[in-house]
Amino acid sequence: MIAVVVALILQATAAVDQPLPDPAQEARAQSLMRELRCTVCENEPVSQSTADMAVDARRKIRQLVGEGSSDGQVRDFFVERYGDYVSFRPSNWLLWLFPFALLVGAGALLALRGFSRRHRELAPVPDDRNNESA
Amino acid sequence: MIAELGHLLAFLALAAAAGQSVLGLTTGGETVRRLAVASGMFSLLAMITLIICFVRLDFSVALVAENSHTLKPLIYRIAGAWGNHEGSMLLWCLVMAGYGAAAGLFMQPGKLRDRAIGVQGLLTTASFAYLLFVSSPFTRLIDAPFDGGGMNPLLQDPAVALHPPMLYLGYVGMSFVFSLAASGLINGQIDREWAKRTRPWALFAWSALTIGIALGAIWAYYELGWGGWWFWDPVENASFMPWLVGAALIHSLIVTEKRGGMSAWTVFLAVLAFVLALLGTFLVRSGVMTSVHAFATDPTRGIVLLVGLGLAGGAALALFAWRAPTLKPGPEFDPVSREGALVLNNLFLSVAAALVLVGTVTPMILQWLGDTGMISSEAASLSIGEPYFQLTLAPMVAILLLFMPLAQAATWRKAEVSPLMKWLAPAAVAAVVAALVAMAMGGWGLWLGFGVLVGVWVVFGVGFDVMRRVGPGGAGRFFRMPLTVWGMAIAHLGIGIFVIGATVETATRTERTFPLKPGEIAEMGGWTYEFLGVSPVDGPNYTALRADIKVTHGGSTEIIQPETRSFPVARTSTTEVAIRKTLTGDVYVALGDQVRDVPGSWRIRIAQHPLIDWVFGGAGLIAIGGFLSLAARVRRRSPAHAADTEATTGQGPAVPASTPA
Repeated sequence: MIAVVVALILQATAAVDQPLPDPAQEARAQSLMRELRCTVCENEPVSQSTADMAVDARRKIRQLVGEGSSDGQVRDFFVERYGDYVSFRPSNWLLWLFPFALLVGAGALLALRGFSRRHRELAPVPDDRNNESA
Repeated sequence: MIAELGHLLAFLALAAAAGQSVLGLTTGGETVRRLAVASGMFSLLAMITLIICFVRLDFSVALVAENSHTLKPLIYRIAGAWGNHEGSMLLWCLVMAGYGAAAGLFMQPGKLRDRAIGVQGLLTTASFAYLLFVSSPFTRLIDAPFDGGGMNPLLQDPAVALHPPMLYLGYVGMSFVFSLAASGLINGQIDREWAKRTRPWALFAWSALTIGIALGAIWAYYELGWGGWWFWDPVENASFMPWLVGAALIHSLIVTEKRGGMSAWTVFLAVLAFVLALLGTFLVRSGVMTSVHAFATDPTRGIVLLVGLGLAGGAALALFAWRAPTLKPGPEFDPVSREGALVLNNLFLSVAAALVLVGTVTPMILQWLGDTGMISSEAASLSIGEPYFQLTLAPMVAILLLFMPLAQAATWRKAEVSPLMKWLAPAAVAAVVAALVAMAMGGWGLWLGFGVLVGVWVVFGVGFDVMRRVGPGGAGRFFRMPLTVWGMAIAHLGIGIFVIGATVETATRTERTFPLKPGEIAEMGGWTYEFLGVSPVDGPNYTALRADIKVTHGGSTEIIQPETRSFPVARTSTTEVAIRKTLTGDVYVALGDQVRDVPGSWRIRIAQHPLIDWVFGGAGLIAIGGFLSLAARVRRRSPAHAADTEATTGQGPAVPASTPA
């Protein structure tokens, strides 16, 4: 319901895609546009869609960035209104931790096995061509 | 008659595959081979009959009536045969039976071949049973319509005509790698010989998968009109997971083949690649998500696929659990060695696959939990997209690639790093310089610098490694490098080029939508775009609005014409972008909608995609490298050449460049 109201408010404003005068702010706005989902499209960020929702969302992102909002504040603005679904950047820390934990855990396991198995000094296999044709 | 003939041929293919599986898993022998070839031939003929139905627009066939149309151009009538669920399932069956037939034609006779063909026969039989009893492409209509329903117009694109066959050669090709793994496990023979005979199949399937995925990306870039080539869409991830596991597999197979090590892990990867391919098919076809690939969604298909996935995966894992304790560990190796480097490669690639898997299925599982009321709908709606995959995957891939030039120069069992330094120090310098230049030009983004650093390090690292192998002998020795080295060098070079292209493109692409009236001018990045107006154009099965835009850059002027096409039969419209290629990248213009409340004003989306061709070119090189490695194996196997190889290796060490022959 809130989403519908916001969408209507957003729609009432004219559709212009005017970049922000400050290039650094514009760059930030553009990267935010790639992170937020066009909710009326099929798996597209607002940066890429010509749908009205996306046009309005781009305008709103630029407005917020221009007013000095941080990236987090812009994301929160949209997540509050559209739910977690609108952000392609999940906020759940477990999701962010898991790949690195898996990498470190598996790496540590392999390292332990590798070093415990190493009983003596090994020499390189001198010629890998012989090996290839073996 | 022709559809009935196709139906009959499909039944014959099923019967042959059933026979092949029974004999292959029991007695073996020459008949297994003949049945596999017969099954492949029947499948091919069945596919050809379906294509004939599509080309002749036989609307009494339900599938043709639903998916074709008299106005459709010939090439898309042919491609239309697999541009729908039933037809693509027939293609799936054909590829599966085709691999069995290829094994019958090209593999040496023996237990490994016969059992592998047997397992492949089981998979083929199951696929044909599903095709014929649940989703037959040859069903007739009692009242044939005068015209058909047309195909999804988004699929009317040359890249997409070839995308499914290539993708299936890779995706379904993993089924034969799986069959070889199952055969090896049944025979209790997962050893160097097994790895040697499995690796060509894995290389072929993986290289084809690479091309298939690249064609999909090319299609997205040219046809979807938003200028992206990869969006971490579940459909894309579904093919990317088997690709990552396949990449790990073709590397761990090297360790098993050359040193007899990692055999349990290698065979596990061979099973996993196919299980992930099945999982991907389940995600795409079961209707758990909406996409251009989902065709008509149908939950029964999902259940059938899930059961198949469980059976194939479960049986293989049970086999694995039964045989794994008997697999012997390979010879010892120092952590700093080629074995160690390939273990590292496998660690990173499998964690990457796990990360893509979790990122892809988590939102679907949450949504399913929400739909069944187990969790609240707020908790159930979650999106995982580009920022997540980029921020987690990029550092991992970067670390992996920093090791790559060292790894490919490492010797087996134990490697000395210090002699490599004189080769790699210049590569490091080149990488740092290139990163600084890129950052200076592209606005000091850290990601940009990091990506270019890694990519250039890889490109130069590969270059110096080739120079080290060639040694002071010069050009003559360069061209006499073994094909395996060529394959590796070109594939790794492709990775470097891809990384440079992907980072530069992602970090510095600019896009903007301009509302323009005829006569108005937009400026972006040193280019001027004058909108001249929109005019209607008629195509074979669509009507289009075509914009004329005068592009000026550095004194040269050109008219480009982006279109929006509307397809009356399918009642949808597509975007046909206009692309102007330059040496440094693409200028990409799409015609959007008319601006509300402002008559005569159109939204024109203009984007610049620097180095976009490096992305596709890099992927192409990776696939070429894979095929070259495969060619090396095929050549080595032929008896005449085997004698030749003996002779050259007899002369002494040829590869380490420190001892020139």
